[in-house]
Amino acid sequence: MTRKDYLLNQKQKGRHLFGVFPAQYPKELLWAMDIVPAEIWDPPLEITAANAHLQPYICSVVKLGLELVLEGKCDMLDGFLFPHTCDSIQNIASVIRDCLSENKPCYFFYHPKNPHGKAARDYYVLELKNLTLSLEKQLGPLNPDALKQRIQQGHKISGLFGEFYDLRAKGKLDVGNREFYEQLRRGEYLFPDDLIPELEGFLARNKGKEKKGLTPVILSGVLPNPPEILTLLDDLGVSVAHDDLLIGSRRLLVPPSNLKDPFKQLAESYFSMPPCSTKGAPIVERREYLLHLIKATGAKGVIFNVVKFCEPEWFDVPNLTDELKKRGTSTLVLDTELNQGLSGQMKTRVEAFVEMIS
Amino acid sequence: MSLAQKARYNFMKDLGAPALLWLQEAQRKKRSRKPNPYLGPPLKCAGRLREIMTRHYYLSRFTKGAKPVAWVTSGAPVELLRVFDFYTIYPENHGALCGAQKKGPEICSEAEKKGYHPDLCSYARIDLGHAFSGKTPAGRLPRPDLLFCANNICQTVLYWYKELSYYWDIPLIIFDTPYNFQDIRKKDIEYMVRQFEEMIPELERISGRKYSHDRFRKIISIARESASTWGRVLATMKHRPAPMSIFDAFVHLAPIVSLRGLPVALDYYRILLDELEERIAKGIGAVTNERKRLMWDNIAVWFNLRDWSSLFAERGFNFVAATYTNAWAETIHYLDERFPFESMARAYSLVILNNNLSNRLKLMEQMIRDYEIDGLVILSLRSCKPYSVGQYDIRRLLGDRLGIRSVVIESDMTDFRTYSEEQTRTRLEAFFEALEV
Amino acid sequence: MTYFAGIDIGSLTTEVVILKGNDRMVSSAIDLTGTDCNEAVEQALGQALSRAGISRSQLSFIVATGYGRITIPFVDKKITEISCHGVGAHHLFPDSGTVIDIGGQDSKVIRIDKQGKVLDFTMNDKCAAGTGRFLEVMAGAFRLSLEDFGALSLKSKREIPISSVCTVFAESEVISLIAQNQAKEDIIRGLHRAVVNRIWSMVQIVGVHGAVTMTGGVAKNLGVVALLEEKLGGKIHIHSEPQIVGALGAALLAKRLFI
Repeated sequence: MTRKDYLLNQKQKGRHLFGVFPAQYPKELLWAMDIVPAEIWDPPLEITAANAHLQPYICSVVKLGLELVLEGKCDMLDGFLFPHTCDSIQNIASVIRDCLSENKPCYFFYHPKNPHGKAARDYYVLELKNLTLSLEKQLGPLNPDALKQRIQQGHKISGLFGEFYDLRAKGKLDVGNREFYEQLRRGEYLFPDDLIPELEGFLARNKGKEKKGLTPVILSGVLPNPPEILTLLDDLGVSVAHDDLLIGSRRLLVPPSNLKDPFKQLAESYFSMPPCSTKGAPIVERREYLLHLIKATGAKGVIFNVVKFCEPEWFDVPNLTDELKKRGTSTLVLDTELNQGLSGQMKTRVEAFVEMIS
Repeated sequence: MSLAQKARYNFMKDLGAPALLWLQEAQRKKRSRKPNPYLGPPLKCAGRLREIMTRHYYLSRFTKGAKPVAWVTSGAPVELLRVFDFYTIYPENHGALCGAQKKGPEICSEAEKKGYHPDLCSYARIDLGHAFSGKTPAGRLPRPDLLFCANNICQTVLYWYKELSYYWDIPLIIFDTPYNFQDIRKKDIEYMVRQFEEMIPELERISGRKYSHDRFRKIISIARESASTWGRVLATMKHRPAPMSIFDAFVHLAPIVSLRGLPVALDYYRILLDELEERIAKGIGAVTNERKRLMWDNIAVWFNLRDWSSLFAERGFNFVAATYTNAWAETIHYLDERFPFESMARAYSLVILNNNLSNRLKLMEQMIRDYEIDGLVILSLRSCKPYSVGQYDIRRLLGDRLGIRSVVIESDMTDFRTYSEEQTRTRLEAFFEALEV
Repeated sequence: MTYFAGIDIGSLTTEVVILKGNDRMVSSAIDLTGTDCNEAVEQALGQALSRAGISRSQLSFIVATGYGRITIPFVDKKITEISCHGVGAHHLFPDSGTVIDIGGQDSKVIRIDKQGKVLDFTMNDKCAAGTGRFLEVMAGAFRLSLEDFGALSLKSKREIPISSVCTVFAESEVISLIAQNQAKEDIIRGLHRAVVNRIWSMVQIVGVHGAVTMTGGVAKNLGVVALLEEKLGGKIHIHSEPQIVGALGAALLAKRLFI
């Protein structure tokens, strides 16, 4: 079933469909309100209409998101959620609500950028409660038991993703790079009731068959697009042993919390996730995280697959590559626009990098 | 802090800096320019402004051991730092200075050599380039003891200051201001106030000075007074002919940005206001034949201020309002010494760039009416996403609602490698023709 | 006797180098790539073989490199031009630590170890600034050949800085400078500076390690070389036929892979 058919099917079941812009947001809370969050990262569109609203120097994640709205492909949605990921998403949220004749409810989720104080933690809890109150006005009251149940499902899903990552790091997951991320990214729209059995099935089918002779690398950046890069790595005998992707480990490896209060539980999990540039994580933390991944997997190199014009990522790149090189790990930085396929030049870069580290 | 270093700082403050300024002024007079017939007489205050800013940069070299130094973002609540006697350097102001001296590309490329992408904000690249190479037209900037960053103007400053903090291993204090998507709420104010409470012990530790509430309240009151005087300075441009232009305001903005909360800024704006009121009384305009009144949207393009000011003046066009210069007058009046923390949170989180576009549209509509604007020049800046994302729609909506004519031009505030003079001229000429219809 | 061939199919030209078992280059050939890679390869390879006086069946191993490498069916192995330029430059100048390869479509700076193996590299982004293409467009604006264009830049006495890096913007800037009757050589010198500044940023990212060798067609442009040497504060190694270094590296790798 295609993504669109799935979402229409969910709507028929009486669930609410929300378009969610990247990147960090409380999924469990939406699930508990019977919302299916459909994340908008890289819809397969050509950017045309959005160019009338956005300058050439705006990243393709934001442009494609707006394109989706302008082409009327969001008509079936019941609302939008914009997490405060970066300046461009912040403003596009306001463009969509304030400047276009788009009459859907628009919600905003501000996550603190000053991650270390107690004030930030308390604020996160209040922001969760505030989002709940706003959603309740549109969709009716939140059932506290539903929230608890959805948080349990969230734990389950994080646990399954954690197992995926562990097995892959040990070379004991019998799937290629492309297949791995395709499966991972189905979590960007599947409701947990469907996602959990699917992930369990995937794990059962592919677990245990050890793969040998592959060169391990770490993938960093926002998302693995163009996906042809993953196929190319498969063809070259390279295995992505772990990642620091925004769509990947930075969001999916959520440590569970044992606190009683569900909102505090969500907050504690949020603040213990891997370091992320969109949350204001210091460079030292991200460096240490990458070094830990390299050590744990024996990776020969790190590929930074960065979306062109993505400020939070581009600022981190020079210091991270510098530190990794100093410690003997090779790095490759790719500057990509979404859905542009694999250019000859990019292919050359990846192949040369693989020749270098093999 | 050693006694000898303090003595040296005070010596330079009282004797060294005045001597330098006297020398510079003497040299300046020798190479004074031919007057431009389209522009009114220059503001007399300009000399005083130059003196204040030169002295500020010059004295900063002698702060080591005498005063704690902080590098601060333009939208950060600096009033709190003043309590601890921090000497403040504004990298954005320094970036503008480098831009005005056409040093942008050269210093940016120092950061690019370290791998910073040319697509990144040019203020950030200039600052990092300066940090790596020491290149600056300001002589030398002191290495900071503290980096102080507020994300009310952009998230970019957060990424950029993180780099400096990492590179120099210097503490970074972030003041996180939730974006005002709907309405500012009690919890948002409380969060910001709690951050102030959390930073005070840090500031005491770094500066070696104690927090004083009385001092803080006095500073808040000076800052509010300065901002409201700056607001009155800008409001003089409601008169026809306007006694100053936005190109002047871009330059005279420096004290309210980087010396806010200090008596020197307030004193300066009082003198400037007096001069402008005198010009109004005498009917002196910034442009000799003011026929059309324009509004500017976005940061200044520092490298061609002079060229553009005559380009517009020649045709009798004067810029009398800008969202940018207005930003330092727009919300600081919220400051209230009775509730210093709460009012500071409100004043800083409601600035134009941390506020939704509905608010921006209302503000621009109001300014267009108040200043009787005939045309709008929208500068699209690749360096500044929060200012630029949404400009095309703002332009369209303002045109629909008010019938105002406008033009979008593409440039950067300092890095002219991405700017096309020819293309911009063509767009502007077409806009000028449209304005005359 | 065993022979090895390296074929470098670039966007502009295709080069072939034939090597003997003792690493001695026996022949080389260059042809325009045009629209059909296969045809260009056949042409250049045929020419190189006849110059060497051998037949195709005497080639024990063939390595293809360059953009067109994927389209050539008969080769034994395909290797990127980055590895090949590293090996080729090392072979010609064993003290090379940094290799600057500037071709028609892209520029690369490669850091190699004492065996010629790649340690790190960087490439220009999508934009044509800092590539041979930029110079080609600008030479076109003056109706000059690339080589005359480079030579003329050396005659400048008063360089005019070109501010735009974008090829399109720079072209309009140049046209208005020509309209202002500025001296050709001064504008051209400024254009060369713009390209070299861009390349120099890339050199800095990878770093200068040991001797610097320049390869690719732009190495024949005296203006670029002079300005790069000025930045470097020293001489740059350049082979008399800098375009064939990639093909040479490919041929050397062919031998290593065969043995």
